[in-house]
Amino acid sequence: MTLNKYFYITRTNFVNSVAYIQDIIGSSAFIALIIFIFVNLWKVIYGSNEYINGFTIIMMLWYLVMTESIVTSQSRVLEEMGNEVINGNIANYLNKPYNYVLYKYFQSLGRSVVKFIVTFVIAGLVVYIFIGPININLITILPIILIVFLAITLNFLIMASLGVFAFWIEDAKSLDFVYSKIIFTIGGMLVPLEIFPKWLYNISIYLPFSYVAYYPAKLFVAFDYMLFFKVLIVELMWITVFAIIASMLYKICVKRISINGG
Amino acid sequence: MDNKQYKNLAEAISIKDLNKSFKVRQKDSGFKGFCKSIIRSQYKNVDAVKNISFNVKSGELVAFIGPNGAGKSTTLKILSGILYPDSGEVKVLGLNPQKNRKKLAYDIGTVFGQKPQLWFHLPAMDSFNLFARIYEIPQEVYKKRIAELIKKFEIEDIVDQPVRKLSLGQRMRCEIVLSLIHNPKILFLDEPTIGLDIIAKKNIRELIREINDKENTTIILTSHDMDDVEKICKRAVIINKGSIIYDGKIKDLKNNYIKKKTVKALSETPIRFSARKNVKIIKKSEFGIKIEINTDKTPIKNIIDYLLKNNQIIDLTIEEPEIEEIIEAVYRK
Repeated sequence: MTLNKYFYITRTNFVNSVAYIQDIIGSSAFIALIIFIFVNLWKVIYGSNEYINGFTIIMMLWYLVMTESIVTSQSRVLEEMGNEVINGNIANYLNKPYNYVLYKYFQSLGRSVVKFIVTFVIAGLVVYIFIGPININLITILPIILIVFLAITLNFLIMASLGVFAFWIEDAKSLDFVYSKIIFTIGGMLVPLEIFPKWLYNISIYLPFSYVAYYPAKLFVAFDYMLFFKVLIVELMWITVFAIIASMLYKICVKRISINGG
Repeated sequence: MDNKQYKNLAEAISIKDLNKSFKVRQKDSGFKGFCKSIIRSQYKNVDAVKNISFNVKSGELVAFIGPNGAGKSTTLKILSGILYPDSGEVKVLGLNPQKNRKKLAYDIGTVFGQKPQLWFHLPAMDSFNLFARIYEIPQEVYKKRIAELIKKFEIEDIVDQPVRKLSLGQRMRCEIVLSLIHNPKILFLDEPTIGLDIIAKKNIRELIREINDKENTTIILTSHDMDDVEKICKRAVIINKGSIIYDGKIKDLKNNYIKKKTVKALSETPIRFSARKNVKIIKKSEFGIKIEINTDKTPIKNIIDYLLKNNQIIDLTIEEPEIEEIIEAVYRK
């Protein structure tokens, strides 16, 4: 009964996102351009090499399609939640019989699904046309979808924690900026972490950020059952950690909240 | 409802000696100020509400008035459990709203005129359906309820259009329906007529009165529009700078505190009017005049008669003082 209402929130935001799909297609179209630039960039870098750090050029670009799709699917959450906390619009949520963080999660899920699909299709199309298709074993699709779903969840929870944290700093935009750059780099969104120097690689793979972009994309282009189970367990662990952090910060924040604007 | 009946009703809301202050962070501007604020923040205490007490009987319709920043919204937010009071006792339907926020949410409806809750890109019906799920209303109950509300608010033709395509008045009717879906015992209306035209305002006011009357919903209404307050409510609670400065009948308020009216006249011929006792000339040009009359001492009729007799009046308006003026008058007393 209670979960029912959260699923309905997802459904409503799914319908809502479809209602202004032009918006989503518009922002995804920009990603097509970025992918196109990377296609040309990697062509030059690869030259006559077949592999770079174990990645073929096809794997490298489909890796990018996956990371872009995951990261852009949640791109607005941090700023949105941060601003709601700062400007007091959170009041509209707090007087309802639901949990704010859970509400936001299920709401964002509705949009994420639409955004993920649109970005994946558009970015994938660019790579398909200019480089070619990727070989995927059909059996691995379900585990990959599961990991992608968990990655989107983890991304949400980190953003939600930072969004509530914005209450103390009174600035969501700069947090959003810093977090997105972290995901770009040590999260492995732009390039696989193997490309980094050994010491940075060793640090990055243990940080939660790599579970948002790097691992799901790596599993997508080079599936491996051992890696899958390892990622699944660690991903769930990080999700638990950040779920606790987000809900704790949120509880403290609500008690101390001073809603601006009277 | 008259005073006799009041006494028999239970109290929907009771507030006793409520205090709430905010810590406002003091930030110097520029990069230097930013660095300083990271190392050590300076805070300033601002009292939002000071020692306020008032009760609302169940089924009552009360106007909660005050200028911007007077503490209205703070009080409403404490009542809905969103804000925590510093001290004082607050009971809503017999419960502590901070401890029972989720439980009370099922019994409270809110409309913030400036913070719409309808989904902008979706038809209002989708938002209604979502709220029915959020409030866990059984489908049969909801179907009946929503059909009733749609009919009462005359929104049959617009519930299936995206909200962004509706006029402000239509939107507000839908907003109020949204807040009523779960049949709340208490309704907070925060500036429900803001930005509406006269016909839409009238329509909303009638509906608010009807809900109060037919469903016996306790309503607290905040507004800047004195017309709203006068036409809808009998009782007003006026708050200024965090303190309650008036709590009583609106009729008494007007009669006791405001004894002046403003008359504006426009004449075809050069205006003829000389200063006299209890009448203040605020502005005078060749053909127009604006005067303030102390109606307690000089009947307004005398002045109007004089103006009409001695001038070729083409336009004449009589204005009541603005709410800010009334509050000022109350505050000065």
